[in-house]
Amino acid sequence: MIELLESLDPAKNTEVDSVELRALVDEKVGLSTQMRPSVSRRWKAWPIAAAGFAVVVVAVVPWLFQPDPINLLVPDLASLNGTAGVDRLIPLAAGGVQTMDVDGETIWVMSALAGKLQKVSALSGAIEASYDIDGHVEGVVVGGSYLWLSSYDHDGEVLRFDPEAGGVDLVIPIGGMPGGSEWFGERLWVSNQSGDMFEISAMGEVLSTRRGDVKGQGMGYLWINDPDTGLISSVSPDGATDEFVIPTVEGADTMSGWGIRKVAEAGGFLWLMDGDYPFGTNLSRFDPETGEFRSMGGYTFGLLDMVELGGSLWVTSHTDHLLLKVDPDSGEAVRYAVPGKVGGLSVVDDEIWATFYQPGGALVKLGREQDLVESRDVVFDDWSLYPYRLLCTGSSVEGGPTILLEPFDWIDYGSWSVVQAQLSASGYVVCANGYVEGESTPAQRAADLKQALDESGLPGPYLLVGAGDGAHSVRLFADGRTDVAGVVLVDPMPLGFAMFYDDLLPGWGHPPWSDLDVGESGALGDLGGIPLTIIGQDSSSVFGSDRFIVGAGRETAEALDEYWQNGLEFYASLSTNSNSVVASGSGLDAIVSTKPDVIVAAVLAQLGTEPN
Amino acid sequence: MSTESDRVQPSVSQNRFDRLFDDYHQAIYRYCIRRLGRVDADDASAEVFAVAWRRIDDVPEDEATRAWLFGVAYRVVGNQFRSARRRTGLSRRIAVQRIEEPHEVIDANPTADRVLEALSSLGYDDAEILRLSVWDGLSRTEIAHVLKIKENAVDQRLHRARARLRSKFESLAATSEPEEASA
Repeated sequence: MIELLESLDPAKNTEVDSVELRALVDEKVGLSTQMRPSVSRRWKAWPIAAAGFAVVVVAVVPWLFQPDPINLLVPDLASLNGTAGVDRLIPLAAGGVQTMDVDGETIWVMSALAGKLQKVSALSGAIEASYDIDGHVEGVVVGGSYLWLSSYDHDGEVLRFDPEAGGVDLVIPIGGMPGGSEWFGERLWVSNQSGDMFEISAMGEVLSTRRGDVKGQGMGYLWINDPDTGLISSVSPDGATDEFVIPTVEGADTMSGWGIRKVAEAGGFLWLMDGDYPFGTNLSRFDPETGEFRSMGGYTFGLLDMVELGGSLWVTSHTDHLLLKVDPDSGEAVRYAVPGKVGGLSVVDDEIWATFYQPGGALVKLGREQDLVESRDVVFDDWSLYPYRLLCTGSSVEGGPTILLEPFDWIDYGSWSVVQAQLSASGYVVCANGYVEGESTPAQRAADLKQALDESGLPGPYLLVGAGDGAHSVRLFADGRTDVAGVVLVDPMPLGFAMFYDDLLPGWGHPPWSDLDVGESGALGDLGGIPLTIIGQDSSSVFGSDRFIVGAGRETAEALDEYWQNGLEFYASLSTNSNSVVASGSGLDAIVSTKPDVIVAAVLAQLGTEPN
Repeated sequence: MSTESDRVQPSVSQNRFDRLFDDYHQAIYRYCIRRLGRVDADDASAEVFAVAWRRIDDVPEDEATRAWLFGVAYRVVGNQFRSARRRTGLSRRIAVQRIEEPHEVIDANPTADRVLEALSSLGYDDAEILRLSVWDGLSRTEIAHVLKIKENAVDQRLHRARARLRSKFESLAATSEPEEASA
């Protein structure tokens, strides 16, 4: 058998064209352009929105439905008010990345998916005005008594918005999808993704064009990236260029090979953020006094924005839901958890405001530093591409269990952030699998978790929360252990459901659930008398919904629902001490995002703890 | 932390990368083609070496080099699966592609077909450890490195995977033989 298999090697006698492959490698790492990344790998300023849209849609909308970006299933955002890390939360037009800029104590936020420009008072928190903007508009910059909006429509254009009149009064084509934009030296500097930069007066006159990609302001200069040479150089307010040139910012040897995302000033240095989207990790520092450029190394995944406040550099991670406070001199960082995916940061009156694009869409005034919850990163397996991590918050009550959150296969760590924040606030150490990308299976995740706990020394007993096909890894982990204090399964995917679904709806496609190998599941024992809570989806919002029935047919919908409900009953039967909860209005595989409060309540009920 | 001048790749690193590419690019390409098919193997192979370039200082010397590269390839391929699944949700299409390609290079052979079908019906972990051992020719130590498991676990998993392959094969043979006989 094995000999026969060996003879069936599909790559036997196959050879790749070495020259072509090497050229491809060189292109990826920038070797062919003298250690600089190729222009095609340059950071594009606005894919964030598209990815943000995808994250929101994938996370909270059953994939079969036609997504309605304005009416996504979203959590009750009011529940985030008072959550550690949140001082004030203002729900905005939901969905997608919100970009913002500040004018005194007014914050302007552009919600791309909703197509709304909103004016918010930082003092009162009131939404003072809301404007519909035609087209796909993302960036917003305040300057010259106008707002300047970056639009993807008509091959890229800048819209001048007059806040007095409440409408767009000028459209300026920029000949390509918009890149960075800044108001600097009393004029607008905006680039397109082809690397052309436009200098535009407040009157809307294009004063100059040149090659360049706008990266941000700092140290009294505008900083631009030359897309052809890879150099970062300064522009002074009078337009003089190249007073400072940072020689080798870009290149495979200095950062990720993807160039830089943006720059900001902090502590007398210019800080440069890794341009690798969506998983950039690195910061670098340029000292204009000495000309020293220093890589400060990797911090965490998904760095997205940064501002200076109180002499420190504050940096967000959208994948890890973190706010980092970086000491400019040492580069050391303190990590704080925030309960949402942060799109952008701004400082208003010495306080940090952030846009959250998941869960929901919101403008958030972050809490004072002493009210923030520190996050610890327990790295277990520094494998080649993406390390396995447990991201932990909170401190334990005496003898209290460590709560472990296990994601499902296609949702990243950050989806747990609301649950994690609220359980941490109730007095528990809460650790979530810091999964951001990479292939995994339930068995691999269970093995990773076991090893991570062994190596980290995180104390048991453990209360396990698994969602979707995370139920499989939780079962695999719990099997045979005596230190499991409780299990909460959130919409656990029934065994064999992916196959059953495919059989009923061939060609429809489904989320990439990882099914459990039948042999593995058969080898698993039950949970005995371990407290077990099953949180199930609301049938009426998923297979029983009118929209699903219209698409799939009533008979198929009922069969899928029956299979799912039988699966939930099976899971409930695994313990003699189980109970079941329905998360009303949840959506399929969406309870973590849409009903985090139900999960928190179930965990605390098992622990006999009142919500904080 | 290091200064920029420290981090500039010296020519010795360039030379080492060149040697590494020359020595292993065919093996890595074959690894990728076995799992992704020809369409995606080029890009995946290039990504493996791009990672190697970025982390050239981390690449171990001598016999550990190959296992390190295969470890990277394992994760790159995994990411390709995930990306493909995220884009299309059609993970099974990839599986079908993987078992169809061998048909291009072998004559029609029901037994061979059954072996490949049995392989594709195994769980990912079982199939992967068999591919690593049988097709990629990795040693027990190298497989342990790639899969991040202990060497003893390699033995156990290989034993289990072989047993499951045989079981699947026999099951397929039992169901298809009556059909073949009647045909």
